[in-house]
Amino acid sequence: MSKLLETNGLTVTFGGLNANDNVDIGIEKGSFVGLIGPNGAGKTTFIDAITGFVPTSAGSVVFDGHDLSDLKPHQRAQLGLVRTFQSLELFEDLSVKDNLLVAAHQTTWYTLALDVFRIQQKSEEIEERIDWALEVAGLKGLEEELPTDLPHGQRKLVGVARALAAQPNLVLLDEPAAGLDTAESNALGGHLRGLLDHDVTVFLIDHDMGLVLSVCDFIYVMDFGKIIASGTPEEIRSNSEVIAAYLGEEAGEVQARSAEELRGMSDTAGE
Amino acid sequence: MLRDKFVILVICITYRGDMELIFGLFAGLASGSVFALLGAGLVIAYRGSGVINFAHGSVAAYAAFTWDELRDMPGETGIGNEGGSIYLPWFDPIPEWGFLKALHINNLPVEIHIMTDPPAWLAMIITLAMSAFIGLLMHFLVFRPLRNSPMLAKVVGSVGIMLYLQAVALLNFGGSNRADDGFWVFNSTSEPIENFLGMDDKNLPRSTPYLALAAILIGALAWALYRYTRFGLATRAADENEKGATLLGYSPQFLAGLNWVISSVLAGLAGVIFLHKTMPNQLNLYVVSALAAALVGGLTSIPGAIVGGLGLGAFASMGVSATSYSWWPEWLPVDGVRAFAPVLVVILVLYFRGHKLPIRGTVGLGRQPRAPATKHPMIGVGVGVFIALLMSNIFISKWESTLTMTLVAILAMLSLVVLLGFLGQISLVQWTLAGVSSFVLIRLASDGLKVRPMDFFVVWGPGLPDPLAALGGVVAAVILGLLIGIPALRIRGVQLAVVTLAAIVAIEDLVMRNRPLMGTAAHTMNPTPKPEWFGQYVGALDEQSNQTDYWKYTVFSIIVVALAGIFVVNLRRGVIGRRFLAIRSNERAAAAAGVNVARTKMLGFGVSSFLAGLAGMLIAYKMPMVTSEFFSPFVGLAMIAFVYLGGITTVWGAVLGGMLVGGGLFSEFGGLHFEGITQAYINAVGGIGLIANAILTSGEGISLTLTNQAKALIATMRGTTPKTDEQEELVVAEEANV
Ligand SMILES: Nc1ncnc2c1ncn2[C@@H]1O[C@H](COP(=O)(O)OP(=O)(O)OP(=O)(O)O)[C@@H](O)[C@H]1O
Ligand SMILES: [Mg+2]
Repeated sequence: MSKLLETNGLTVTFGGLNANDNVDIGIEKGSFVGLIGPNGAGKTTFIDAITGFVPTSAGSVVFDGHDLSDLKPHQRAQLGLVRTFQSLELFEDLSVKDNLLVAAHQTTWYTLALDVFRIQQKSEEIEERIDWALEVAGLKGLEEELPTDLPHGQRKLVGVARALAAQPNLVLLDEPAAGLDTAESNALGGHLRGLLDHDVTVFLIDHDMGLVLSVCDFIYVMDFGKIIASGTPEEIRSNSEVIAAYLGEEAGEVQARSAEELRGMSDTAGE
Repeated sequence: MLRDKFVILVICITYRGDMELIFGLFAGLASGSVFALLGAGLVIAYRGSGVINFAHGSVAAYAAFTWDELRDMPGETGIGNEGGSIYLPWFDPIPEWGFLKALHINNLPVEIHIMTDPPAWLAMIITLAMSAFIGLLMHFLVFRPLRNSPMLAKVVGSVGIMLYLQAVALLNFGGSNRADDGFWVFNSTSEPIENFLGMDDKNLPRSTPYLALAAILIGALAWALYRYTRFGLATRAADENEKGATLLGYSPQFLAGLNWVISSVLAGLAGVIFLHKTMPNQLNLYVVSALAAALVGGLTSIPGAIVGGLGLGAFASMGVSATSYSWWPEWLPVDGVRAFAPVLVVILVLYFRGHKLPIRGTVGLGRQPRAPATKHPMIGVGVGVFIALLMSNIFISKWESTLTMTLVAILAMLSLVVLLGFLGQISLVQWTLAGVSSFVLIRLASDGLKVRPMDFFVVWGPGLPDPLAALGGVVAAVILGLLIGIPALRIRGVQLAVVTLAAIVAIEDLVMRNRPLMGTAAHTMNPTPKPEWFGQYVGALDEQSNQTDYWKYTVFSIIVVALAGIFVVNLRRGVIGRRFLAIRSNERAAAAAGVNVARTKMLGFGVSSFLAGLAGMLIAYKMPMVTSEFFSPFVGLAMIAFVYLGGITTVWGAVLGGMLVGGGLFSEFGGLHFEGITQAYINAVGGIGLIANAILTSGEGISLTLTNQAKALIATMRGTTPKTDEQEELVVAEEANV
């Protein structure tokens, strides 16, 4: 299978610290890939680096055959490489639907003229896509709400829906389940799996091990900016290095641990 | 280009030992010292409460006026008194209206007579006390209530103070009185230092070295105060973390208040010692250079601000000296060079060091004012046009001029709605762009012939037919607007406000009053050629009867403004408008959603400048001649004040703001029926309104607040109107609960 996204020796340095150190990751088209790691491991930095929000000091990112090094964040998004933020970053004074519409429309040089003369712009196709994005994120019926009026968990999902509205080929989700309870988290996992049928490849960061281990086909583990392990959920569960660095206990037990504890963990991560 | 010139300057000094420039350098230390002192005050206020105080120069101006009024000799022309009085920094808000006048109700004490001809030391104490008082008022009435508001609200608050103080000074002291007696060496009549540095016929004012010395000394004292005292330590601690100050036994708000006092006293001092070199009201705009000085000090270093101020003064003055050389290009006028120096410094500092400055980014506390889309604009436009037509000459003649002034203001405010309201870019310069459009239009339409017998000047030009000349004006405004937008790609929030304030001053002197560029009349009364669109005369002056308020102009304005209104409504409802709001809300998120933030911002600057340019065109057509005073910074700030008051995020806000502004419908109506409603009065009220709006409605303005109230009212009325028995029971149950 062809790789949709590939990083080679990606390194990000903050001051003296290598927040990402020589990261090689490949994401196959149509797959569901996870990235886990303890707090401060460099996961968010990795997403920032491939979407152009922090400068890289070495290495390359190739997406869908394009070398991304000279592209600005919005250009990467237009190629179909779309992300969500761990720290929400919503348009707080726009309604949920408007949040999605910002991402859904493409503009050209004459868009202003279309606006001024009220010429509808591909409205049906866009309505459909937004419907779909709201459906996946479980936000149906909340279109007219302001994000600030929603609970934290749903605000995260607005971010997910907005990313989906942008017609992504690959969506990078940074802890979308933070703030959801287990049932909601599982429902989200199911919806996200469904994205694969819509030609959307998914890259998921989350602290909810239950979610990650159950939905991902392939998982990378990061610690101190380095990839320390990768493999299928089964392999990760039994990898001793992962257990030492991250899980700190038997992997099998983790999965069995009560949902409450896990939630506590992802909540602190979300702050 | 200009930078190259300055490089040449520096080379001149080093290699040729050029005396002219060296003298310029020393002479510039005089104004440099005021920039330095004001800059240090800005730093102190900033460290005390995290506010960039745009009103800082106006505090100095008010103090200078106060001193001047105190020292006014008996018999000299003061306004309404013989000197020796102080005027409290407010005005009687209820002028002697109608029956109140007969009752002689004195509403608020304003003038207090101290003594005739007070000695200098007493006048100084009183003046500095007045400055301190203003500092306290600013703290308690404006910045303390705004301490948890978004950055935008703080900027708006300080711009409101600037407008207010300037207007109140005008009301209380009149425009230009000046007693010309400073004290000691700070006096224009003291003997100059002749043959300065052995240069023949070079006389340096005696006050100049003392001014520089004063700046350095006071700067050093202030620095030591913050460096070595417990109070200074607490301020520095509070700067980083409010808890730190509390640990040292100070309440953060007490510290902030005290810092406001110190900052304002420094401003007052600067105003007084510099009074012999300027007019008090000129000090208002010294804030631009002071900001440049403070920025050199990174907004946090007092010595940095002092060095920056002195350096800027010297730099600007050398630039001015250089204009006397034969190689200096004629199209760079003296005033333009002087005004451009601080802009250059501001832009360079912000561009290269902006990321190191303590404030960056727009992320603040609180939410931005909402920007609801207008659902049925055609109804509004229809009603508006109908009312406008009713008021026009066709039916009642005396309202014509007021009506068209209101329309012009609405158009200018629409440009602000787009840029400040939708896109969230705090640009203070749009009104100046309207001026540029006006001036370029006149220049392009002129053909070197006298337009009207009464004109003093003849302007040469290509004599373009009118829609083309107007297009030229609008294009010039757009180009300049885009140029100003370029810094906005890197800097935002308050910093953009600083750049655009500097740009106002620079554009006025460098572009509008530039004679080689804009024609002989640019610095005075610039005659407007008769406008004709497709064979129709559309000017406001009827050339046959020589009467103003020609109805075709009114109709023309109504059409232009109505179209602009629809344009802005549709922009808001469309894809681009939504993207503007997205950028206003969160630039990172917008980029992640695939929005080209840079290009979209430029589009916003372009659209806004286009509307401002149209406003400039209407002004050119309204007047037989246009002067740059009409586009003065304070008129522009008043526009911003009133559109904020009306509602910066909606077209209705612009309509309301246009009616409120001086010369607009409300003020003219007021002026017709009550005495004392002058432009300054309106501006003072506007300043208060701006501040109140920032504090009370979190910037949403009258129109949105009213709409909300109305909606809430309708909702309650509906809620209490029983529709079904069930609902009635619910209501009853609820009432029982209460
Ligand atoms: N802008 C920045 N400047 C300096 N250091 C940074 C910056 N952003 C992140 N870091 C540092 O880089 C490291 C990686 O941070 P990152 O946010 O990528 O971790 P993470 O794996 O996403 O953690 P979490 O699970 O808590 O979200 C951390 O040590 C963090 O402090
Ligand atoms: Mg993270």
